[in-house]
Amino acid sequence: MSEQFKNIVNIISVVAIPLMILVFVLFGIFKKVKVYEKFIEGSKEGFDVAIKIIPFLVGMLFAIGIFRASGAMDFLVLILKPITNLIGMPPEALPLAILRPLSGSGSLGLMTELMNTHGVDSFIGVLASTMYGSTETTFYILAVYFGSVNITKTRHALPAGLIADLFGMLGALFICKLILN
Amino acid sequence: MLNYIWVGLIVIAISSAIGTDIYREVNNSYQNGKELEATYLQTSNLREEATGKIQIQKDKFNEHYKTSTSSNLELPILISKEPNGIRKFTIDINNNSPEIWKEMSQGALNKEKLSGVISEMLLTETENIFIIKIKIENISYIKLKSVTNATFDYAATAVTLALGLIGIMALWLGIMKIAEEAGFLKILTTVVRPITKKLFPDIPHDHPAIAAIVMNISASMLGLNNAATPMGLKAMEELNKLNTKIGTATNSMCTFLVINTSGLTLIPATVLAIRAAMGSANPGIIIAPSIFGAICAATAGLIAVKILQRMKRFQISNNID
Repeated sequence: MSEQFKNIVNIISVVAIPLMILVFVLFGIFKKVKVYEKFIEGSKEGFDVAIKIIPFLVGMLFAIGIFRASGAMDFLVLILKPITNLIGMPPEALPLAILRPLSGSGSLGLMTELMNTHGVDSFIGVLASTMYGSTETTFYILAVYFGSVNITKTRHALPAGLIADLFGMLGALFICKLILN
Repeated sequence: MLNYIWVGLIVIAISSAIGTDIYREVNNSYQNGKELEATYLQTSNLREEATGKIQIQKDKFNEHYKTSTSSNLELPILISKEPNGIRKFTIDINNNSPEIWKEMSQGALNKEKLSGVISEMLLTETENIFIIKIKIENISYIKLKSVTNATFDYAATAVTLALGLIGIMALWLGIMKIAEEAGFLKILTTVVRPITKKLFPDIPHDHPAIAAIVMNISASMLGLNNAATPMGLKAMEELNKLNTKIGTATNSMCTFLVINTSGLTLIPATVLAIRAAMGSANPGIIIAPSIFGAICAATAGLIAVKILQRMKRFQISNNID
């Protein structure tokens, strides 16, 4: 069942992009759009958008970067440990939970390390990979998406995003306990 | 809110770096200026350079650094003789080196190397085996040094990331332009409108933003990140056309962002690949749990976004940060 689901999704993922391009281009021709000209016209924005997000990304990534380099994470783990012990979260997984919304590549490395030391199929190994898959790099998305339209007043987007991350982590912990214990 | 979290990250980082460094300096955690006794097995000896292995008893090492390394050390060492007769050494630091040395090497003159002087070198009865005393270079302010390096590194990383987006952005924004001109986005909008009405009540019923949002979410569900980001940015552009206060996020934007940050993906391809490569008996065991986790995240995020947008603190007119 799960294998079948995986196969179906895999096939869709492989076909999606070529098919989408084909459909759009054919549909454009059918509607008598000057496809190549319009493609170039839209394409020109790509450069601007990428350049526009640079300041937002620099601001965000450098703050996250020095946070990681300073070893502040160890202190944060120390402070949060009593709370996570209470809900039965293994202390080894805590740094991953903190890092996940901050850094995509960083948390991927941490996940791999956890699976290396504790075993891929151990509770911590499965929990780590589930935690990684349960949410996205909130700060990066925030910087890129808001940066592309020059928005600095982000209102409730960050708190709501962090609440989502928190519940993603709790959900991952809950389901892993349910499956493996 | 973003202001406070941003400042928080910076302040916590720098103050904990300063705190850690001062603590280590006061306690001399790295035993700067102190001698460590070791055995040196010479394997080759040229005029100015000799190579061999350095052996340190675990008890001596642990006593010196107050650590709890569990095995005796044996590492390759390079010894060079200066014209003034002083012998200098260099030890390469790799993954198998003791933790404290790995840490020290981050603050060393040459990264991934520890060097220093040999203060005493006595030949034992066996040829080519010496008892030596080493004095490692002074190591200090490691955390502050890494914070400084991180500022440069991550600023450069940010630019690399953004520039890396140019190609894929140009491609998909071009394709999306064709779809827009052909009226495909309008058609898609009408089809999905009943579903998205509740989530985005502020968007007019035939606005192309809806189509871009739906395409972004579908692409990220399929794990097609390269296509999802340009579509998401297209959606932001469309949403910004409805924005009456430039520079401030609208309710719809926040809702859209939260859906994206919860990262609902049907097949977490990266994780699966890593698990398979590491020899998992069942790499796919995490698919259903990950979907469950992401649904938890998305649900909580959407509830939070709808509650928070009513709070006085986050009102557009009353917005202080």
